[in-house]
Amino acid sequence: MSRVCDRRVEEAGQADFSYGHPVSDTEDRPQQPAADPVGGPPAAGPAGDSAGEVAGDAEATAALRKRLRYPRRVVLVAGAGRSGTSTLAGVLQRLHLHVPQPEVDADTTNPRGFGESAWVVRHHERMLRRANVNMADARPDAWLDTARVAAMPNCRVPTSKFLEEQFGFSSEVVIKDPRLSWFLGLWQAAAVRTESTAVVVTMLRPPAEVIGSKQDHYSNRLGAPHLAASWLNMMLHTERAGRDLQEGGGRSFVRYTDLLTDWTSTVMRLGEELQLQNVLHAGTTAVTDVDSFIDPALRRTERTLAGTPISAAMRELVEETDAALNSMADPGGDTAEVRATLDQLRTAFVDLYADAEAVARSTAMAAVERGRREGREAARAEVGPVPAADDEGGATGLARRAARRLPEPVKGRLRDLRNRG
Amino acid sequence: MSKVPVDGLQNLQGEHDYDIVWPWTRPGGLRNGSTAVLRVKNEARSLPWVLPGLLRVCDKVLIVDNQSDDGTGEVAKRTAVDMGLGDHLDVVEYPFRVARAGAEHLAEPELSVHSLSYFYNWSFAQVDTAFSWKWDGDMVLTAEGELAMAEFGWRSFRKDVILKFPRHGLYVESDRRAYLDLSLHNAEGWGFPIGPDWTYTKSFEWEVRRRPENTVDAILPRGLCVELKYLDGDEFGHWTDPESFATSARNARKRYEWSVFNALTNGEVPEELITIDAPEGTHVIDYVTKTWLPTAPRPLKPPVRAVGRTHDEP
Repeated sequence: MSRVCDRRVEEAGQADFSYGHPVSDTEDRPQQPAADPVGGPPAAGPAGDSAGEVAGDAEATAALRKRLRYPRRVVLVAGAGRSGTSTLAGVLQRLHLHVPQPEVDADTTNPRGFGESAWVVRHHERMLRRANVNMADARPDAWLDTARVAAMPNCRVPTSKFLEEQFGFSSEVVIKDPRLSWFLGLWQAAAVRTESTAVVVTMLRPPAEVIGSKQDHYSNRLGAPHLAASWLNMMLHTERAGRDLQEGGGRSFVRYTDLLTDWTSTVMRLGEELQLQNVLHAGTTAVTDVDSFIDPALRRTERTLAGTPISAAMRELVEETDAALNSMADPGGDTAEVRATLDQLRTAFVDLYADAEAVARSTAMAAVERGRREGREAARAEVGPVPAADDEGGATGLARRAARRLPEPVKGRLRDLRNRG
Repeated sequence: MSKVPVDGLQNLQGEHDYDIVWPWTRPGGLRNGSTAVLRVKNEARSLPWVLPGLLRVCDKVLIVDNQSDDGTGEVAKRTAVDMGLGDHLDVVEYPFRVARAGAEHLAEPELSVHSLSYFYNWSFAQVDTAFSWKWDGDMVLTAEGELAMAEFGWRSFRKDVILKFPRHGLYVESDRRAYLDLSLHNAEGWGFPIGPDWTYTKSFEWEVRRRPENTVDAILPRGLCVELKYLDGDEFGHWTDPESFATSARNARKRYEWSVFNALTNGEVPEELITIDAPEGTHVIDYVTKTWLPTAPRPLKPPVRAVGRTHDEP
């Protein structure tokens, strides 16, 4: 007996974003936007009985209902950390695109807020841990590792369920996180599953400033060569990932400095290129909110590569990559020729990294061995004192039992070696 | 052959125009990117659905036409040109009869131009990119499948990786109605690097691709691809006969598909199938791949699960 399946029949109940572990509402669920002194988005409930309603405010309700009728779009704000992604997310949020709530709290490294959904950050962190990949990983191999994890059903399903729920707040949703580039394919797939269109915005900032900013804010723990490699890996592959667009999708490149110096023309171009209705139809209040939010002093680090301690080969690669990406931010700049140049640069980086890995193999092997020893020592510390040497149940006992099984000629040779001292 | 000759392969028939020269030994070697290789015979009916997705996401699509008489090559070219992607498509002819899977293949020497393994090695020797997709002329990507193929193609750059695509049988009854089979959990390898460690050799019923040690298997999610089976078509003509897949555990999936196909052609719908009717004006293949499967609730599952059929086969 077959059945004619109604594909719109969704599974009953709320989406489970918890990987099987119960979480409190306040911790993991999308929340109402917090009150925002500089004019954040209006508090609106998710789709349901109260969908599109702002209690006690008829005007806001009408505006919200209009926004809910826009075509569904998810704006993926990608790029290296410290490139202005938070500023752009904040701008879009003030123009009434929806940043899933609750957000990561602002701190001294980003006093005006990150524009990041806490759930999205945790989701990405879990997947990165599972893939054994660091947020700013410089290894080209990490791109396949993260894709393999993101292809798992227990990563894909929560992503699309989460996104579906966000469309109850607004039809244009902003996903931003410095880890996002690793998972652009995952969010593109989620867009397909939620009958929406994903668009990608890549923020560009001079690499010397990104590296300098990271050194300033993260106590210079990682060193300029690593940070430069990390920037190359992130930007060259983010650009490649951004080419994989579903039908109707689009992408844009935005210079951080353009956003800070002339946000209106920069953001209007973005709105037109990506067909963001909340941008195209933004009201005056929203515009003044953004005006108050944008602060040219946000760009606190102005440096050049000349002062960055990296090798000549790395500097050349960084400079050429930066130039190619910057040309993509010009109107009509996303051309086949520039893409081909970036393909060559990506290959050159992969080669450079492979050479560096080969050169540093002894260091890597020593680190692995050191890790093993530390692991063994930690295990010993956990189980308590090591058994006596003559205890057949201890480590020495195991060695003795293994030695007894050796062929007689080998035992004789070992005895000779021992007697030689 | 346990050892692959470095210079290439020469066939037993002395057809030197069809000797195999490995592409990595050619001047300039392999370029970056991926090529989908479709070895086809009389797939004109399916290609208008199969090719658009591949043309959008692969750097090149290579049709190896094996004695088609239904205009397969012309349909392929027209499809690509209509999309404005004529330069993404190459069509080449392989003019020899190729053994059908099963007994016929087993009886054919590996270096015969009629051997499946020789045919595959020749086909993939025409590729000039570093990555390849072994694709069938009846496999259609869904909207999500296109994204996955594009993404995993570049993320596999210079990796020893096999990309495994789960596919789902779509038994097409008419332009409006088809039966989707989500009961099988087979994930055959479809994406491979091109190189000396990745050539084909002969197996019992068909060819197999060699793989180096420490190869990574990446398994992609379900719902990315359907395999078309027309209920008014000859869907098992590439097998010698049903006896060729009658007994071995390797052929369990084929036996299952044979039973489903015969049930449907006899008017009986197996309970694990989902009947899908397309809206007026939309072909059911478009509806399934662009709308139904991409937005179907996850996890994808059949109304009733068929058991014990998980083998990889061509």
